[in-house]
Amino acid sequence: MRRWIWLTVVAALAIAYPLLLSSPFQQRLGALVLLYAIAASAWNIVGGYAGQVSVGHVVFFGCGAYAAMGSYAKFGLSPLFGIPGGIVIAVGLAAIIGVPTLRLSGHYFSMATIAVAETMRLIVTNTDWLGAAVGLSGPTVPRNVFDLSFLSSLPYYYLFLLVLVITLFITWWMTNSRMGFYLRAIKDSERAARSLGAPASRTKLYAYMLSAALTSVSGALYAMMFGFVDPESGLGILISVKILIMAALGGAGLLFGPLVGAAILVPLEEISNSWLGGKGAGLTFVVYGAIIVLIARFQPGGLLSLFTGRKKSKSDTGAGHAP
Amino acid sequence: MKLKHVTALLCAAAMSIALGTNARADDKVVKIGVILPMSGGTASIGAHAKAALEVATDIINNAHPELGNLPLAKNAGLAGLGGAKIEVVIADNQGNPATGQNQALRLITEDKVAAVFGAYQSGITLTSSAIAEKYGIPYLNSESVAANLTERGFKWFFRTTPIATDFAKAYVDFLADMKAAGAKTDAIALVHDNTEYGTSVANTIAGAFKEKGQPVALDVAYPVNATDLQGQVLQLKDKKPDVIIMISYTSDAILFAKTMQSLDYKPAILLADDAGYSDPSFIKAVGKISQGVFNRSSWSVGPSGSPSAIIADMYKKKSGEEMDDTVGRQMQGFFVLADAIDRAGSTDPAKIQVALKATDLKPEQLMMGYKGVKFDDKGQNVLASGLIIQLQDGENYTAVWPKANAVKAPVLPYKGW
Repeated sequence: MRRWIWLTVVAALAIAYPLLLSSPFQQRLGALVLLYAIAASAWNIVGGYAGQVSVGHVVFFGCGAYAAMGSYAKFGLSPLFGIPGGIVIAVGLAAIIGVPTLRLSGHYFSMATIAVAETMRLIVTNTDWLGAAVGLSGPTVPRNVFDLSFLSSLPYYYLFLLVLVITLFITWWMTNSRMGFYLRAIKDSERAARSLGAPASRTKLYAYMLSAALTSVSGALYAMMFGFVDPESGLGILISVKILIMAALGGAGLLFGPLVGAAILVPLEEISNSWLGGKGAGLTFVVYGAIIVLIARFQPGGLLSLFTGRKKSKSDTGAGHAP
Repeated sequence: MKLKHVTALLCAAAMSIALGTNARADDKVVKIGVILPMSGGTASIGAHAKAALEVATDIINNAHPELGNLPLAKNAGLAGLGGAKIEVVIADNQGNPATGQNQALRLITEDKVAAVFGAYQSGITLTSSAIAEKYGIPYLNSESVAANLTERGFKWFFRTTPIATDFAKAYVDFLADMKAAGAKTDAIALVHDNTEYGTSVANTIAGAFKEKGQPVALDVAYPVNATDLQGQVLQLKDKKPDVIIMISYTSDAILFAKTMQSLDYKPAILLADDAGYSDPSFIKAVGKISQGVFNRSSWSVGPSGSPSAIIADMYKKKSGEEMDDTVGRQMQGFFVLADAIDRAGSTDPAKIQVALKATDLKPEQLMMGYKGVKFDDKGQNVLASGLIIQLQDGENYTAVWPKANAVKAPVLPYKGW
């Protein structure tokens, strides 16, 4: 019962936020938190629940971003049309990458995903049709509402909120399905899970593909909001790292972990940048890094496990095992 | 246990403070938002630009009668706004187009800047100027050269720097003059990295030569921040082009110079496209083995006592570095923007836009070697131009072309070391 009260409060706050703090920068900050929460929640499915730490998730992010901008820049369509295309490409790519690499264990899987992401970035950088190093631009002046190019951040905020709710619902549904139980068993001990008849390879692959599809959506939304994608901002390895850190900070393997992580790190980055960015080189990242070190040292299960971790052992599966 | 809670509290505190809004602008101060790479791979550019803008602000806000015809130098502050001072609000773009865009929004909506200036990297100029366009705030760019920036139909975007098409034409004319003087310039090789800058500039130059009926003979691309360039140099050594045009950032330019020396290869003419070859650290590292390299620049220090020499001195005192083309173009752009605000007599964006459109500065009112500043409908400065400079006897570039601006005559062939 208490859980429902909390959920209602969080939902009410999320809906009211841009109306309470209504300056354009604050609204945009809110939209960015939700956007990164979507990406980190998508990563959470394979990184948190299945324990397969993918550092190459930016590949799927890039699929969505390039599909959205490509549908506008190459075919003159609304970037919205790129979303299904991005999902199809991302899921296909996930299958191609996942079949060989998900057999690798631990760090080797992470390394393989980095390699794939970097290869992809280099391929796109050298593909003229995808704008090469220059990137693709979206509509600057919207032709109609379907171009999703708004002056205010408010429409983005509620769009992202909707997508986040869907993402979290899918995650919640998955964890309570047969697949969720398989994943938790695999995460604890893949060998034991296999010996009990859990189809480990197939389950991991499904989780990977589901995660890829949702990451692709977040990439498409990102590109629509910024109206631009280039190899660095769409396929740069730092985006993967950022997504991963957000999930780990909030609590990997917990439903609301990525949301908490994003709600802390995104404002922190923007704010330390506006305070310190103009003064000296790199101070922003020093502050950013210090917070991460503190969390990693004192609360490796993620911030959310402060509250949920030692309450009950039932919902505790993720805490303490985060990367 | 306690520390965990402290961490959580700190996070919460940081967030809540951040959500407060900034104070409103003072009437006697005109705020200009500046977006620069203050961290990331090009952070040194941001640091140099910051020093340059501090010098520029000093020149505008205080009386500097020694600077002659330079607008705004004579009196303190902006005369058109009752002596109001310029204040620069710098934001870090972190080398990231998304961050650049967020910062543009913050500068416009939170800091209420009158205009935005930036953002060095073409990709970031692209995204951040889109925000200024949506909000109807003038955006002045002084150093991004990607051609498409002024092809977007924007009404609030202005660019003072010469772009790839301008200097491609200069190279064609320069080489034609060298040919007339007896040099062999038939086979041209382009060497460039694979970034947006490298590929787009190489394409533009190749196009300009093709138009003149002299297609580029050899195109050598290499990955940026290369660790080994022997293959590329050996390829050049094998094909023996008459002219090599280098489009490289600093670290690659240095490696090329070293590799060419170790493989004992010298072309007859080595022509560099600014960037790495204008960086003071390039001259420090390999200037001695790159004697006779030609370079493009719009910056040339005049005789001592001239405005450009005084500004160069002020900049050197501030930053400890020699003035180079990039910071020069940034300062010039900033002066153009300040001049427009002064003439507008207001911080109203629409009035500044009108003033920018009416800008018509003559060469003697500029610190850079442009033929003037005048914007076309797309916001591009149509009078932007550059000179060819050469590294002669030692560590300083000297203007050698066109004849009208030349301090010395060009020396051929490339001497190297």
